[in-house]
Amino acid sequence: MLLNALRRVGVFALTVFVASLVVFFLLGVLPGDPARAQLGLQASEEQVQALREQLGVDRPLPVRYLEWITGFFTGDMGVSYASRSPVGPQVLDALQVTLLLVLGGIGVAVLIALPLGILAAVRHHRPDGTLFSGLSQLGISIPNFLAGLLLIAVFSVALGWLPSGGWQPPVAGVDFLRHIALPALALGLVNGAILARYTRAAVLEVMREDFMRTARAKGLKPGAALVRHGLRNALVPVVTVTSIEFANLIIGAVVIETVFVIPGLGSTLIRAVANRDLIMIQSIVMCVVILVLLVNLLVDLLRPVIDPRLRIAS
Amino acid sequence: MKETHTMKKLFQSGTPLAACLAVSALALSACGAGGDDPVNGEDEGGEATSTGENSDANISIGMFAVPANLDFTTTGGAAVFEALLYNVYEGLVQLDAEGEIQPLLAESWEISDDGQEFTFQLQEGVTFHDGTEFDADIVKFSLERLDEWSANTPEALAAIDSVEIVDDYEVTVALSEPDYNALFWLAGPLGAMFSPDSVDDLATDANGTGPFEFVTYENAVRMEFARNDDYWGDPAGVAGVELVYYEDASAAANAIRTGGVDAILRSEAFDQFESFEAEEEIEVRVGSSQGVVVMSMNPDHEALAQDEVREALHRAIDKESVMAAATAGYGEILGGPSVPTDPYYIDFTGTYDYDPDAAQDLLDSADVDDLSLTFNVPNRAYAEASAQVIQDNLSEIGVDVTLQTQEFPAVWVEENMVNQDFDLTIINHVEPRNMNNYAFPEYYWGYDSEEARDLFAEAAAATDDDEYASSMEELTELLVEDTPGVWLYNPPNVGLATEGVSGLPLNDLGVGIDLSDVTVSE
Repeated sequence: MLLNALRRVGVFALTVFVASLVVFFLLGVLPGDPARAQLGLQASEEQVQALREQLGVDRPLPVRYLEWITGFFTGDMGVSYASRSPVGPQVLDALQVTLLLVLGGIGVAVLIALPLGILAAVRHHRPDGTLFSGLSQLGISIPNFLAGLLLIAVFSVALGWLPSGGWQPPVAGVDFLRHIALPALALGLVNGAILARYTRAAVLEVMREDFMRTARAKGLKPGAALVRHGLRNALVPVVTVTSIEFANLIIGAVVIETVFVIPGLGSTLIRAVANRDLIMIQSIVMCVVILVLLVNLLVDLLRPVIDPRLRIAS
Repeated sequence: MKETHTMKKLFQSGTPLAACLAVSALALSACGAGGDDPVNGEDEGGEATSTGENSDANISIGMFAVPANLDFTTTGGAAVFEALLYNVYEGLVQLDAEGEIQPLLAESWEISDDGQEFTFQLQEGVTFHDGTEFDADIVKFSLERLDEWSANTPEALAAIDSVEIVDDYEVTVALSEPDYNALFWLAGPLGAMFSPDSVDDLATDANGTGPFEFVTYENAVRMEFARNDDYWGDPAGVAGVELVYYEDASAAANAIRTGGVDAILRSEAFDQFESFEAEEEIEVRVGSSQGVVVMSMNPDHEALAQDEVREALHRAIDKESVMAAATAGYGEILGGPSVPTDPYYIDFTGTYDYDPDAAQDLLDSADVDDLSLTFNVPNRAYAEASAQVIQDNLSEIGVDVTLQTQEFPAVWVEENMVNQDFDLTIINHVEPRNMNNYAFPEYYWGYDSEEARDLFAEAAAATDDDEYASSMEELTELLVEDTPGVWLYNPPNVGLATEGVSGLPLNDLGVGIDLSDVTVSE
């Protein structure tokens, strides 16, 4: 088991390294000049060249890669071309916002998916079970930006209950909750619908298992059998899918942050691309890559804890 | 320092010296009167003069273009100086709401007869927010530092040769050649006065002499100013200003509807203005901008080098339809390269009327058929909408146009302005008086006319407004005749204000957005 864990950590490190190469060299061939982007339409070629030298973007790619990657892993991500201030704190601030948003989204997704998925499975032969399935199908087909716009139209513009955008840090308490409610809902709705379908399938499968029949034979009612024996077994695929959905949620957050004017990684990334703020783009993309890999690693390591059968298999 | 009509008239018509003396006298008396009446009585609508302004109020204003940082000396784009100039930073002179040059840190000035020496008498008792005193040394330092600027066209003031300190409160700026535009540029970002101790952290902090002190800038999210209680002129009408940055027009529109912001400036939610106009509690204010949306035609292209072909394209384009698609019809149709707020503006919209038949005849007489052109379109909504209408218009006279979308600014600037690899391209030139670039054949417009360059030189050598305007008018006429581009429209500057907010500037003059007159009633 320890060996298995070590192997997974090794794969993680290698993937991070390869990802850093891909990210850096792809950005290196991206058309558009960072210096020109900072100086605007009116700057002369001499002014642009001078800034190119000052930013160091006229040097060979391998040199810049080594400088960036050593800096990245020693905590010095460099200075943003656009804001002229250190990249590190800016990325961390944005990361914190996005993580809260994504966690909120996962929370919403799980709160929707578990009851909806279980009910749809348990009552799959009845009209209301079909209705729950239908609801989740509908949820999957709504893009999250549209969900965001609809939520704003209803809860902010029409009803005036919640702000239409903006962000408050968690220390703001109630104000934080008011600001995160709609974006987390928009983000979580779609993923909740997807997760609900997996939950339904997993529960249905578990209900057909022999041990469930045994539990019923011992005299447990269907509900009690499901709660005591079924759900734990259905949880493994659900947790795996949630971790895959985590990557989707981060991507979804990019869009949701724009709709709700939230200063997270997504909006920072989009602006950095427009500004050709290469050092900022690299650092953000690397952070997202590491985050997603880290979550996958954690889930890989956690699965044997949830399901003892997997310990033997590995 | 808010000027009156008398002051403007004196300044426009009198001899420079007499005018300046009068201006300084008025300026001093206005200063002495103190800040009892911060409200400009001429403000349209007149609501501001009613009682109930709350000088302790804060205002939150939604903005569009996002400042990358705070240093407009090395960062292009209008977003940075629009926010800071006239609010935090001040220059020797400023543009008023009508675009006229007015005194600011210089209470008066004289221009020598040969147009090569500008002598400024400075305001006394002015300090920077960090306590540094403003005097002639500051002016010398700031203007000599233009050499270190890399953005916002420092070459526009390249004529400045030296800055001589006459005494603590008088400086003479000597030009290497006459340049009547110099005062105009001094009223913009290039004229901002900096304290020598603050220039190392211009990107992250702002220390000026203006009516507001800079408080904070959360990158791309919000900027905050607080009233400068030690301001040398009339105090600002609100205690604090928060500029909130939006990248999405609908998000900003939702914010003003739900009370997230009190006003929006530079709004581009064109499709929503009609519904805002129907709402009682929100006022839609349509002013004009400095922008010229121009379709440029590359003279290196064999067909486009011919006058008749360019005129044919100009006549084939239905500008009304273009503007309807781009801005829902808000804005002014243009016939030439100048905008209505330019002192030399002439309406040329009748010169090349929309007339596909005449356009077809012109093409025929130039013996051009089967013309196919590549149209490089920046990925901006207005440009994409305009280009589609133009493509359709040109197909009616048998010109086949292929649209090629390019990311703006990164790719578009590189391909069109640097490599000049285009047949047709379109952009909104937002810089004030951008038609000056027709003087440079190497600019991407590729306009090369000896006659035009002579007229530019003649205008620069002017020593009064009339002389300057008449040269520029003649020049505009020449440009329209040669039609190196198709000037489509002047985009509107649209502001939205909730009830109780007044004093927001109506027009975008390409300088700072002066927020010192803004008031909020209770």
